[in-house]
Amino acid sequence: MRLAGHGLTIELPPGWEGTIGRRPADPGATTAAAGVGAPRVAPALPEEQLLPVAHLATFPLPADRGDFGSGAVDLMAAADVFVALVEYGPECANTPLFAPQPRLPQLKPGQFGAARLQRVQKGQAGAQTFCTVGGRAFCIYAVVGSAHRSAALSRQANAVLAATEVGLGDPPEPGESNPAGAPATP
Amino acid sequence: MTALVAVEALVLVLLCVLVAGLLRSHATILRKLHELGAGLDDQPPRTGRARGERPASRPHPEVPSPGGRRASAPAHDVVGTSLDDEAVAVRVVGAPTDTLLVFLSSGCSTCGAYWEALADPGLTLPPATRMVVIVRDPQEEHPSLLGELAPSGVQVLHSTSAWDDYEVPGSPYVVLVDGEAGRLRGEGTAVTFDQVLSMLTRAGDDAARAARPMAEARAGLEARRGDKAAADAAREAAVDDELLAAGVQPGDPSLYRPVDEEVGG
Repeated sequence: MRLAGHGLTIELPPGWEGTIGRRPADPGATTAAAGVGAPRVAPALPEEQLLPVAHLATFPLPADRGDFGSGAVDLMAAADVFVALVEYGPECANTPLFAPQPRLPQLKPGQFGAARLQRVQKGQAGAQTFCTVGGRAFCIYAVVGSAHRSAALSRQANAVLAATEVGLGDPPEPGESNPAGAPATP
Repeated sequence: MTALVAVEALVLVLLCVLVAGLLRSHATILRKLHELGAGLDDQPPRTGRARGERPASRPHPEVPSPGGRRASAPAHDVVGTSLDDEAVAVRVVGAPTDTLLVFLSSGCSTCGAYWEALADPGLTLPPATRMVVIVRDPQEEHPSLLGELAPSGVQVLHSTSAWDDYEVPGSPYVVLVDGEAGRLRGEGTAVTFDQVLSMLTRAGDDAARAARPMAEARAGLEARRGDKAAADAAREAAVDDELLAAGVQPGDPSLYRPVDEEVGG
């Protein structure tokens, strides 16, 4: 099953599903109109660039999710894996934190830990790493359902990362001077 | 003069009888058409459709499976875009839950009852079932209208490819997929979402009831297997499974027939 959008192409391994999108500028508008609670993501700042976020999971993803999987990781079983690929602005590309890589890096089992979770969930472990691929800066955040099975579950996360191709980002929006995904100037 | 008036009165009475008969026959035809699903669609389509677009489909209770498809036909994963233009891939085959795929459109008047039913907070799905509403691609749909119709918390995807994969004959149409088996458990349509849900749930219950004797027989055989070498136990289990799949239950007379009789006929 192939998932493609915003310059990312992912050949999902068996058992995975996913989404690639940019959060709406005013996520509260849709939830307020629908009469449901506050959204998990904040409205965009006036000058903020809305960059793509990919969510990949071995379990059904709920509709309302935060960029780093809040709302989704709560639903994980012990054998599940969640991966968020969050793009950062071009000003971050090729900086020391977002070091250039030929492909999205693989995660080592030792990188996973409960202390690396965005919000601690019993039994889970998280890992986070940063990179620049194809001139685009990314944060990779992965969560495994069972910290004890990090070795096996990190292999699943690595399989989906290896199946991800990074292409050119979206063309600039009208009025946007610094397009996401544009190759960074040296 | 009196005779003329009498003749006129008689003709008038005959005409009245004729008109009444015609009206009755017309009403019968309309009722039959309504029962067939054509209905008296006095509610105009919610939006006009561009030339060349597929017309909104009419609901047909008990619609036959597309192309004579068997109920256990293989399912397909769904790839499409959300109403927020997010690329989405939904795992249907091999998923840990069953998936209820609801094929709707913004332009079909019968779909209105479905959209309302999906927005009902009291809507109850079969246990361990995920629901995904699938509309055709944005260029064949009315995205702004869909934004008004789509209930919160319900996943709605544009995916014409899913319509093609599942050979959907028209909207509304509902397909229930057995996630673990990756096969269709049931499909169909009805005037209301509740009706089609009830029909599919009943079909699932029937299938579970049919599967129960085999499960019970397998459990009984497991219990009687006793202590054996792992290889022997595995071989015996495989043979038992094959026999059960062929409809041969424990105690079946064919198991005790003399070999000569089997060979000789």
